[in-house]
Amino acid sequence: MPMTDNSAGKTGATPEGVRARDRLALLTADNAAVPLPAGVQAITAILLAVLLIALPWLGLGYRFLSIAITTLYTAIGLYGLGLQFGQAGIMSVGHAALMGVGAYASAILSVQLGLGFWTSLPFAMALSAIVGGVIGLPTLRVGGQHYIIITFCFCALFVIVLTNGGTFTGSATGLDVGSVTPLPGINFDKLSNNYYLVLAALFLALAATYLIGISRYGRTLRAIRENEQLARSVGINVDLHKLGVLMVSGLFAGLAGVLQLYYLRHISPTLFGAFPSLYLALMVMLGGARYLYGPLIGAVVVNFLPEVLNLDPVDSRIAYGVCLLLVILLLPGGVGAGIKNICCAIRGGSETQVGGSNGRA
Amino acid sequence: MAALEVRGLRKQFGGVVALNGIDLDIDTDRVVGIVGPNGSGKTTLFNVVSGVHPATGGTVFWQGQDITNIGAHRIARKRLVRTFQQAMSFPGLTVDENVRIAWEQGRRGGGRWTSPGMILDFVGLAPLGRTIAGSLPFGSLRRLGLAVALGVSPELLLLDEPGAGLNDSEAQAFASVIAQLPPQGIGVCLIDHDMDMMSDLCDRLVVLDFGTKIAEGPPSQVLADPKVREVYLGPDKKAAAP
Ligand SMILES: Nc1ncnc2c1ncn2[C@@H]1O[C@H](COP(=O)(O)OP(=O)(O)OP(=O)(O)O)[C@@H](O)[C@H]1O
Ligand SMILES: [Mg+2]
Repeated sequence: MPMTDNSAGKTGATPEGVRARDRLALLTADNAAVPLPAGVQAITAILLAVLLIALPWLGLGYRFLSIAITTLYTAIGLYGLGLQFGQAGIMSVGHAALMGVGAYASAILSVQLGLGFWTSLPFAMALSAIVGGVIGLPTLRVGGQHYIIITFCFCALFVIVLTNGGTFTGSATGLDVGSVTPLPGINFDKLSNNYYLVLAALFLALAATYLIGISRYGRTLRAIRENEQLARSVGINVDLHKLGVLMVSGLFAGLAGVLQLYYLRHISPTLFGAFPSLYLALMVMLGGARYLYGPLIGAVVVNFLPEVLNLDPVDSRIAYGVCLLLVILLLPGGVGAGIKNICCAIRGGSETQVGGSNGRA
Repeated sequence: MAALEVRGLRKQFGGVVALNGIDLDIDTDRVVGIVGPNGSGKTTLFNVVSGVHPATGGTVFWQGQDITNIGAHRIARKRLVRTFQQAMSFPGLTVDENVRIAWEQGRRGGGRWTSPGMILDFVGLAPLGRTIAGSLPFGSLRRLGLAVALGVSPELLLLDEPGAGLNDSEAQAFASVIAQLPPQGIGVCLIDHDMDMMSDLCDRLVVLDFGTKIAEGPPSQVLADPKVREVYLGPDKKAAAP
């Protein structure tokens, strides 16, 4: 039933064409008033896909491809973190432990029951999701800062439990698994095939993130991030959605953990402790949690930086710290926001980042 | 039977009794005004009815159902929707997206709007659809608050001082939008301190003081009530008009 307004000038609703463009723009450009055109976004996506698929053929060597695999499975975990932090506004500094839950679940299923990669994957992902939800329970009662501390504690606790788990968890030495069960004609012992396995999972993670971002579900999460009380008052079940997004994030983490396990073939507790968790947090902030390619950019920068600059582990930790400070001070929306702003500037848009609370995540 | 029935509603914050046994009937075919001095419990009444705060005692019935303490989001889904005294929005999102979020929630089980654009047109925000809500001027932010609430397709709208902080012409425009709601099937319960506007706009006024309802009825009758004049002007200035 149309209602007429008398008080303000009418220009009518936005034409449908513009709305379709907005839809594409939502994630890549967050909610910016100046979206990148759909064409630019589509070309970016295609170029990126081609580059990633062609990577093993560029002759960059074994070491490069190994780092690329590490980067990609890390990015998958980061997409979960990007969803819970970038979209729903719930930061975690214990995310590596959630990946560890998936990795260890899969490893234990392999050692104890002889389940392979494909069969253990759904169980590992489900367990990560459940654990993600359970850690999330307190966040419904206490504020976000408390949740951050809880995730950090979970991380420490997880390492302690693993280290004291006897032969079941392999204690400090950890557990070994075989290689990924071959598919017809594809042997995952070959590094490039392992790369494609991880890449396929990354594409799934990217697609899921994109689809969530443009959906009603994504908008619901952003509403919770922006104003919980208002979200409730329009009928959003905030508690349910918070738990939900933490579980979805757990699914991503579980997938990433299992891929990590079957790439390394050996896992130990230190892989999932405080430092790796902090790196994940750093990567997602560095890249820009709200942007479609933000987590990937963050993973690439942090994993390749020491290689490119030839840094030893201590130096690279210092470099990370400096990077994080620079990003927080200069690019509060992460590298993703920076790139988007540059694009907008090139296109001649005047209002790049509008609005007070923008770019925090 | 009225759509909203409040019975013996009590709310205590520690030692402060903010609502002390309120009885209230509100129908969805008119504008009901709630007035009272600062701290008399008006906002608390909305907060408890809309599920933001749990009630200490008493019952709230909506369309015959007991909705006391069932949770804010469930109450909103039953199309009993409120706005906030502090102008609220999803500040980092565009005006379009703000309204779309509410519209998508209200659309479950059939809303009254076929698109979020209709709501923007109705409140006069259509030209600002692409603006980030956090950068809106205050008057537009108030309109957005109304648009978001309307997006849920309410049957009764609880408006907490929607005109506060607006200049005269903005407030007047706002009042004319509010006046259009009851004929469209959206009941309005309105809190405001502007007595002139309230007596123009409201079919019925309810006066609260210290968490108690002290008067109720048509505006002219309520404003002439000596108890009301005392509350507003103090016992020694009874002669002056409120
Ligand atoms: N969350 C709260 N915690 C503690 N006390 C509260 C809370 N909310 C309200 N109160 C108290 O309850 C009483 C009623 O406050 P309320 O906000 O309902 O008044 P009001 O009628 O809306 O006033 P105003 O016209 O200033 O908006 C006040 O004494 C206030 O201090
Ligand atoms: Mg108030």
